[in-house]
Amino acid sequence: MMSATASHGRAVMLPSPSGALQHQQPSIGSDMFRLRRKEPRGLRLIVAAKYKGTKMREEKLSEMIVEKVKEATEVCEADVRSEECKVAWDEVEEVSQARADLRIKLKLLNQDPLESFCQENPETDECRIYED
Amino acid sequence: MAVSTIYSTQALNSTHFLTSSPSSSSKQVFFYRRQTNRRFNTIITCAAQQTVVIGLAADSGCGKSTFMRRLTSVFGGAAEPPKGGNPDSNTLISDMTTVICLDDYHSLDRTGRKEKGVTALDPRANDFDLMYEQVKALKSGIAVEKPIYNHVTGLLDAPELIQPPKILVIEGLHPMFDERVRELLDFSIYLDISNEVKFAWKIQRDMAERGHSLESIKASIEARKPDFDAFIDPQKQYADAVIEVLPTQLIPDDNEGKVLRVRLIMKEGVKYFSPVYLFDEGSTISWIPCGRKLTCSYPGIKFNYQPDSYFDNEVSVVEMDGQFDRLDELIYVESHLSNLSTKFYGEVTQQMLKHADFPGSNNGTGLFQTIVGLKIRDLYEQLIANKANAPTEAAKA
Repeated sequence: MMSATASHGRAVMLPSPSGALQHQQPSIGSDMFRLRRKEPRGLRLIVAAKYKGTKMREEKLSEMIVEKVKEATEVCEADVRSEECKVAWDEVEEVSQARADLRIKLKLLNQDPLESFCQENPETDECRIYED
Repeated sequence: MAVSTIYSTQALNSTHFLTSSPSSSSKQVFFYRRQTNRRFNTIITCAAQQTVVIGLAADSGCGKSTFMRRLTSVFGGAAEPPKGGNPDSNTLISDMTTVICLDDYHSLDRTGRKEKGVTALDPRANDFDLMYEQVKALKSGIAVEKPIYNHVTGLLDAPELIQPPKILVIEGLHPMFDERVRELLDFSIYLDISNEVKFAWKIQRDMAERGHSLESIKASIEARKPDFDAFIDPQKQYADAVIEVLPTQLIPDDNEGKVLRVRLIMKEGVKYFSPVYLFDEGSTISWIPCGRKLTCSYPGIKFNYQPDSYFDNEVSVVEMDGQFDRLDELIYVESHLSNLSTKFYGEVTQQMLKHADFPGSNNGTGLFQTIVGLKIRDLYEQLIANKANAPTEAAKA
């Protein structure tokens, strides 16, 4: 079971949609953080996110779930059959599924979605190896 | 000395060109070999693409679902996202297959849908014209620039180039919704999860998330239900195969959704598709394999097979209730099923074992998904063989 990813005290930097997460503009991320990626210490058994960018995605999705559930609960208080209510819960579903898909990829398939991107762009911030 | 020259078909005067026929999707190359004593022509069909299109309707996300993994695995090779592309791409590519997520054809992104007040289930949020054009193009062997819907950001990203594959699978909420797209499908599958099982699965999926509770999970399912029933559910009448997942009947009052009753509903009369059967085709069979030859642990395994009618279509239904606990149970069951389209004894079991860690590997979902994968392989091979024969036969004429 995935443990809840709470960001207690830790400042989580969420990239904006037009920032480092989009493949088309990787330079925005790497321009801001000119840190070099550390060499990985030996072989690492991948059971969780390998790259920082993936870890950030995981956290972002989890936070979105919290937000959107809250939103949907509020919107539906007015009228549970309204369009707004339907759409709000649909968003919750979309984000929950996206979160689950990422979890499946990492745990079951051992694939980090940034693997291929990071092979080509190891210098970007989101390709820093995530160390627990 | 033998001289080989290759001419484009337009340069030759022969009237036996099949590339001019609109139904052929293959390019042809004529080889002329001139020898000292005699001259002869050989026509070799160089198939550019014989793309087979499969539609899969499922409400369980895209391309990462275990069904797709099993399916692509039958053809060999692991399916992976396109290398070097958008990391949030939903597409999966293996040697033989490309899986496209139909969410990529959303005409409205998350903000747009909120503004218009439509869910992703609503046809108004999807561009069926583009879906049709691109699936048609890929089927004819033409590469397309397909949009990408980013599930993380909720935006439509820049398109990615998709090359026509040997087998194209379109997976999502609406593969059979548009009639034109339906006609392009060589085979279609609908994954029908009953409400109780859906609820149990979503609990398993979401309960670990901070934001969720039993109430939110329930509310989400209920809010989406009207649109789901109106737009998605009716597609099952068009499917060639429906995999229906229901709660078990072997355990009274079971609501954990762990033991499942799975029904494989197969349409009769579909070209290149011969339904699976148990013992005697067309009869009604009830079979409990556990007994003297095979010991099973609780709650055991129960099979049913019967002809039936489904939305005015004649169908055959194979049903499995219960779960496999050991390898020999699986092999035993496999050896009693017929028309599996396996290439060797134990192939179903081998495929199931390959993905033993996938959900559903010990029950009917994994079993029937694997079998459907083998059926699709069979259909593909028959289709290719058929298309290859047609031009050479026409050339002989």
